[in-house]
Amino acid sequence: MDIADAPAIEAWEVFRQEKEGDPMRHGGSVMAPDAELAVHYARELYGRRQESVRLWVVRRTDILDLDDPDLLQPPLDRSFKKPGGYVMRDKLAAAREAAGQPKPKARSG
Amino acid sequence: MSATAPPIDGVPAVALDELLRSMADDELVIGFSDSEWTGIAPLLEEDVAMSSLAQDELGHAQALYALLADFTGTNSDAIAYDREPEAYRHCRLLDHGRGDWAMTIARRYLYDTADAVRLDALAHGHWKPLAELVAKLQREERYHRMHATAWFERLARGGAEPRARLVAALDELADDAATVFSPLAGEAVLVDAGILEAPMAELETRWRGALAPVFGALDLPMPPAAHNPERGRLDHGDAFRWLHGEFTMVRRSDPGATW
Repeated sequence: MDIADAPAIEAWEVFRQEKEGDPMRHGGSVMAPDAELAVHYARELYGRRQESVRLWVVRRTDILDLDDPDLLQPPLDRSFKKPGGYVMRDKLAAAREAAGQPKPKARSG
Repeated sequence: MSATAPPIDGVPAVALDELLRSMADDELVIGFSDSEWTGIAPLLEEDVAMSSLAQDELGHAQALYALLADFTGTNSDAIAYDREPEAYRHCRLLDHGRGDWAMTIARRYLYDTADAVRLDALAHGHWKPLAELVAKLQREERYHRMHATAWFERLARGGAEPRARLVAALDELADDAATVFSPLAGEAVLVDAGILEAPMAELETRWRGALAPVFGALDLPMPPAAHNPERGRLDHGDAFRWLHGEFTMVRRSDPGATW
């Protein structure tokens, strides 16, 4: 590799798992010229205090970025697609009354 | 336990003292040398990495000094900081000033590869406290070696200037490159007792065997034999005197203070 075609320094996103079985969570990013050093730096910044059992290091440009508002934030009212659109409380109370049952006490635990 | 009682039957305390002191001083000195990059490394991430490696080495030195302190009746801080420069037993490979980045990488690569061979020769030794500590050090040193190798190869293949700087650094270090393996006065006893697997000369042969394919692939000249192996851990020069002044400065500012 000649210095002329040495890769530019670029961003790598680091995901970390705190313990076996946990989901991978985004930890942050590192700047590095290639995958080898990106892994070293991810280890130093997100793993050297034993805070991670696994790291994923992903070149930022390899991430498929989707932020189109037409796809993610449609302009029309979509509240009917949310469970909040159905208020069950009053219907449930009416049904209980009809059946002659008292409202159950809050369960503990 | 009296201050000079040997911790293992049949092995003079002085032989263990010499071994531990040489290893711990190596780690202390490379740790402080590399910490000189804190704040000025080539990349912010590299700054964090190099500072963290340097700190690891100080941790290794502390653990080795603690083992030594156990049977010499002193403590790690006193051994690390209260000696005159002449009394340190690190190898002369670590006596060169910080230099440029290529110098730091060349020194670290030569040291880490040599240290790995030395640790391998101690990991199954019959003195349990040392063998157990070495097993832990080996796990951290594995990462150090990956880091040093990545940079060593990067500089060697990185075009005209990085390569020229690496070659110049290797040339400056050449006569001292093998001094990690300077013979210890008591090494025969350590080998007989099964603490050290083989004499330093044999370990140097193993190290050269490991380096040869890498240096061959990168077309770099192999380091020559040490110029004067008998004095490979003595005669520290001005660069070390300066470093010693730096790393003992705070402690000397108020001797005997409780920190």
